Amino acid sequence: MANAITLESIQKQLCSEIASMLSMPSGSITPDTDLPALGISSLTFVSLLLFIEQNFGVNLMQVGLKIDDTKSPRRLAAAIQAGRAA
Amino acid sequence: MSLTLPYSRSRRYLTGIDWFISALAHQSTRRNNRVACYSQTVLDVDGALSETAIRGTLDQISDRFRVIHGRIARDWLNLAPFWKMTPPPKDAVIPLRVVDLPEEREDHAEVLFSEHAAVPFDSPSRHLRFLLVRIGQRRSRLGMVFDHSLLDAFGAEMFFWLIDEAFKGHLGEISRRVRQTESAHLDHWMRRFRSGRTINRLLIRLGKQDTIALTIPRAGTIRRLRVLQESLSREESIRLRQWAGEEIGVPLLLPSAAARAILAMRRVFSGTFLPGSQFLVFTSANLRAPGQQWESLFFNHFSLLPLTLAVEPTTGVKEMAIVLRNQFFERMKDKIPWAMQDATMLGRIVPLWIASRLLRLVAKGRGCSFYFACIRDTGFSPESFMGLPTRQLVHQPLVFTPPGLNICMTEFRGTFNLVISYLEGVVDDSSAAQLMAAFKSLLLEPQCEPASR
Repeated sequence: MANAITLESIQKQLCSEIASMLSMPSGSITPDTDLPALGISSLTFVSLLLFIEQNFGVNLMQVGLKIDDTKSPRRLAAAIQAGRAA
Repeated sequence: MSLTLPYSRSRRYLTGIDWFISALAHQSTRRNNRVACYSQTVLDVDGALSETAIRGTLDQISDRFRVIHGRIARDWLNLAPFWKMTPPPKDAVIPLRVVDLPEEREDHAEVLFSEHAAVPFDSPSRHLRFLLVRIGQRRSRLGMVFDHSLLDAFGAEMFFWLIDEAFKGHLGEISRRVRQTESAHLDHWMRRFRSGRTINRLLIRLGKQDTIALTIPRAGTIRRLRVLQESLSREESIRLRQWAGEEIGVPLLLPSAAARAILAMRRVFSGTFLPGSQFLVFTSANLRAPGQQWESLFFNHFSLLPLTLAVEPTTGVKEMAIVLRNQFFERMKDKIPWAMQDATMLGRIVPLWIASRLLRLVAKGRGCSFYFACIRDTGFSPESFMGLPTRQLVHQPLVFTPPGLNICMTEFRGTFNLVISYLEGVVDDSSAAQLMAAFKSLLLEPQCEPASR
């Protein structure tokens, strides 16, 4: 059942959560938004990792997250998908 | 004209963190003979700032925000401490001292700023003080010493922005957003007790192993507060940001930087430390909600996060950074910064002198190895201030005693500043210079880069 979550669905949830964390209007974050350019604070980033762990069951740091995976919601979603498959 | 404020607007209840910081400062100033009482933020600009313009702007701010002239009092009905705001006397001004230095005496500015941070305020209702040092017509440095009861580091940076906005005539608009009151928060007791239990257990766990720390001498032998400061170039800052992310796989600088600060400490002080098996470092976490910077301008909106590291001589710096990264993540998962906020609410009924004695129990009286801050989301980063181009904004944090040493990294418009604040008597000047050199070289060391690891 866990594999039923599609990549698009993960991307959508990530975009919505990031917008909410940054108090930005929903829809302002797209899968290709440049996350480093948003100036996300360390606290917000760790909160995002916790959101991922709670909602997708993946501890990204334990599955070997790379800095390039954090550049956009699309890449982050791909890392989550890979982590779920592992 | 002085008007009496309505009851609800004449008091701002202190949060647990406000009270905790006051207790830490109270304990520290007793231990260090009042040589380090306050933090300072220094802004550098190109050109000569106008004394008249600064005085005029500070007067406007002083009139608009009565909170600046408040003082700590206690509500004897609910026992909660609060910030008492009474109309300021007619002659209430925010002090500003101006020093004009000739070009050849530019270095003397550092001494002036060190002295500026060391002098106690002359009244319980005074919490801010400015020093303007002009170096010819070429450069100006404006330092603000602030009482942590009124502002935290982020708020202090925002205060410079407030001055600039007031100078531009936008004070009315901003002052409507700034929150000057706060309820007593006499609710959620069960949650606060649970948080208290969490923090208590954490502190007991931290105290089980001896903390490596510097020796704190008797108060009389601590002479003065000293500050060392260095800036990385833009290119060095970009490289640092890049490899720190690559080193630990997440865009966090704190774990890599804290690991290098610990390593630098070990290299410089290995023979002189009080013996122990782990470094205990308190870091800070800014808990402001995004977009709420003006609302949370005054008082403390951060929390403390303890990190520990047992360092073996063979441990690589990357491994140290990853241990700290995982610990940072786990502590956030356990909501330690928020639990600390909640738990400290319980301690507000304790008078300052008792609270400061209880703090001596942390890590068997050693406090921690050092305080470390890595502040990347700065409160103020515009390209100009009062019409002049900004060069640099550096935070010189309050040095709590113990441990008598604070290592701080801040980022201003893409470049990093390294600041080591220490008490002369706890650390000597030569060791502090070695510590800065070791820390900086570790931050820039090629073998830390992925290509040569």
